[in-house]
Amino acid sequence: MYTGKYAARFIVVLMLAGVALGATVRKDLTFKVGKHPAVSINNQYGPISVTAGAPHRVVVTAILHSDRVEVDRSQSRNRIGLMSHLLAGADVNSGVVEYVVQVPPDASVTLHSGNGTIRAEKLHGDVAMEGANAAMEVLDCADGHLHIRTLNGKVSLTNVRNGHIEVNSMAGDVVLTGVSGPFVQVDSNTGKIQYDGDFGAEGEYAFSSHTGNIEAVAPSSASIEVYARSSGPVQSDFSLDPKHAPFLVRGANSFSGTLNKAASSVKLFSLSGKIHLKKR
Amino acid sequence: MNCLQFERGLPDYLEGSHTSEHQAHLNSCSSCSDLLADLNFISSQASSLQALDEPSPKVWNQLEASLRREGLIRQPLVSRPSLVDFFFRWRSAWLVPVAAALIVVVGIKLYHPPKAGDNAPIAKQTAPSKPAVRTPLPVSDEDRDILSRVASRPPAQQASYRADLDAANSFIRDAEESVKSDPNDVYMQQMLVDAYQQKQMLYDLAVDRSLGEQ
Amino acid sequence: MTDAKRPQGDKLTEAEAIERAKQGDAEAFQFLYNLHKRRVYSLCLRMTGNTAAAEDLTQEAFLQLFRKIATFRGESAFSTWLHRMSVNVVLMQLRKKGLQVVPIDETMEGEGEGTVRKEPGAPDERLAGSIDRLQLQRAVDELPPGYRTIFVLHDVEGYEHNEIADLVGCSIGNSKSQLHKARIKLRELLRTNRAEKAGTGKTGKR
Repeated sequence: MYTGKYAARFIVVLMLAGVALGATVRKDLTFKVGKHPAVSINNQYGPISVTAGAPHRVVVTAILHSDRVEVDRSQSRNRIGLMSHLLAGADVNSGVVEYVVQVPPDASVTLHSGNGTIRAEKLHGDVAMEGANAAMEVLDCADGHLHIRTLNGKVSLTNVRNGHIEVNSMAGDVVLTGVSGPFVQVDSNTGKIQYDGDFGAEGEYAFSSHTGNIEAVAPSSASIEVYARSSGPVQSDFSLDPKHAPFLVRGANSFSGTLNKAASSVKLFSLSGKIHLKKR
Repeated sequence: MNCLQFERGLPDYLEGSHTSEHQAHLNSCSSCSDLLADLNFISSQASSLQALDEPSPKVWNQLEASLRREGLIRQPLVSRPSLVDFFFRWRSAWLVPVAAALIVVVGIKLYHPPKAGDNAPIAKQTAPSKPAVRTPLPVSDEDRDILSRVASRPPAQQASYRADLDAANSFIRDAEESVKSDPNDVYMQQMLVDAYQQKQMLYDLAVDRSLGEQ
Repeated sequence: MTDAKRPQGDKLTEAEAIERAKQGDAEAFQFLYNLHKRRVYSLCLRMTGNTAAAEDLTQEAFLQLFRKIATFRGESAFSTWLHRMSVNVVLMQLRKKGLQVVPIDETMEGEGEGTVRKEPGAPDERLAGSIDRLQLQRAVDELPPGYRTIFVLHDVEGYEHNEIADLVGCSIGNSKSQLHKARIKLRELLRTNRAEKAGTGKTGKR
C-alpha cells in the first residue's frame, strides 16, 4: 500500500517473476490526499477514465498489456503523477496501459493520451485533456475549468454546466450537448462543431472554425445575442430582433440579432464553413 | 481572569493591547500560553508563504498573445525561451504586428468603403460560398523539422501529421489573405491569431510535449 | 523590494522596463512579468486554492496592469500597484463565483465557547519547531474561503485591517475578528494534521 510518505519520484517495477511476455498485469494503487488534489496522467497508448470517488483518496487501477511498459508514479504533497514508461521494444500494442481512476470530486486532473479515449465524469475541479488522436469525453461535470486540445480525436461534452470551457481541435469533430457557460469557446480547423443546448447561464459562447461547419441547435426560449459570419453559407431558423453588428461585413455572409432577453452572447465565426443556427 | 475571558480578549491582545490581567493569566496558565505562542508562530510564519509558487510557462505565453492582440506589444516576436524553442522560429509567421503594418499600407489600395446597407443586421447573404481552390502549400524549414521529428512514427501517423500541418498552414494562409483584404477587420485578426495558435498546438502535440512536463 | 530592482545578470532596472513597456517593448513586459509573477501567482493560489484558477487570475491581473501601464507615473511602488490590482482581480472572481469573500457572522463548526480545552491524550507541544512551511501552506489551503481571504491578505501579504476593510467591503472590526478566527482554525488544522501523522508513523516532512 502506498504510504504517500516520500516526495521524491520513484519507479514501481511491474515485471514480476513468472509474468509471461504479452500477458496483462493489473496494478492497484491508492493515494491519500487532502483537499483539491492535482492528478496528472500521461499515457502514450491506451485509454484513461477518471470519475469522481471518495474524498481524500485517489484510487488507480492500471492494466498493463505487456511487460514492455511500466507505470511510474510520484506523489508530492497533494500532487499525484502517473506516467506510462515505455521500455525497449514497446509498440502501439504492447505499450498499452488502461487507466481507471477515481479521484475526489474537487480534484484537478491533467490527462494526456496519444491514442486512447480520455474520459472524465462527475468532476467539479479543473480538467485538462490533451492528445493527438485520442477521443475525449466529458460527462456530467460542473464548475471547473475545462481545457481540451486535440488534433484528430473526436471531442464530446455532455451535461457540462457552469464551466469555463476551451476546446481546440484541428480535425476532430466537437459535439456539445447540454453545455452551458459562463464561458464556452471552441476553435476548430476542419472539424465540425455541433452544439445542442440552451446557451444558458448568461454565458459567452464563441465557436470558430477554418472550414469546419458549425451547427447550433437551441430552443425558441433561448435568450441570446448572436453574431454569425462566414464566407460559406449561413442560415438562422430564428426570427432575430435587429441588432447592429459590431463588424463591417464585406464579401462575407452573416446574420446577427437578439432573441428574448439576449442574456447570453453567441458568436459563430468561420472562414469558409457553413453556419446553421437551428431551432429545436 | 479565566481562560474564556483571556481568549475573548485575545484579538485585542494580539493587536498590542496588553493588560496586567492578561499577563497574570499567561503566567499561570500553560494552555493559554501555548495558544498565544501558536498564534504568534502562525502569524510570523505566514509571510514565508509569499512568492512561494511559480506559474507554468503557458501563463506568459497566453499573456503575450493577449498583449500582441491588443497592440500593447508593438515589436516582432522573438524566439521563445522554451524547451522547444527550435520549433518556434517561424520565419514567415511571427511578424503579425509588422505584417499588419505592412498590410495597412498595401490594404489602403485594396480598401473599399462600405456600401449602403452593408450593416443590415438580419440574415444577409451577400456573397455566394465559393469553394477555395487549394494549391499545395510549400513546406517551410520549420515544417520540415517537425515532419522529420515524426518520421519514426508509423506511416499512417506520419500521413496524419502531414495532413494536419497542411490544414494549419492553410488556415494561416486564408486568415492572412482575409486580414490583407481588410486590415481593419479585428475579427479576422483574431482568426489569424487563432490560426497561429493552432499551429503551435500541432507542434506541441507532434513532439508529444506532455502536459505534465510544465 | 526596492524600485531599482536589477535581477542578477539582467541589464534592465524596473524603472527602465516600465518606460520601455510604455513604448510596447516585448522584452520589457516579460521582464516585469518575471519580476513579479511569483508574488502575484502565490497570492492568487493562496486565495483560490486552485492552480488553474490562479493561473487565469495571474494572467488577468498582469493584463489589466499592462493595459494601464501608460498611466503609471511612479507615485507609488510599481509592485504595490500590481499587488493591489491582483487582489481586486481575485476578489472580483471570488464574488462572481458566489464564494464568500468574508464571513460576517460565522461560528466555527463544532466549536463551543472557547478553544483552549485540554483534550485527553492530545499532545500539548507547541507548533513552533514541529510545523514547517509546507504544512502551514497545506493548512491555509484547507481554510474556508472567507477565513483564507483575510488571513492571506493580512498575515501573508501584509495588508492592514483598514486596507482589508476597503478591499473586501467589511468593517475593520469584522476583519480583526475573522483574522483571529482564521488563526484559531489554522492552529486546529495544524494540530490535527500533526496528530494524524504521528498516529500513522509519517513524518510529514520532505
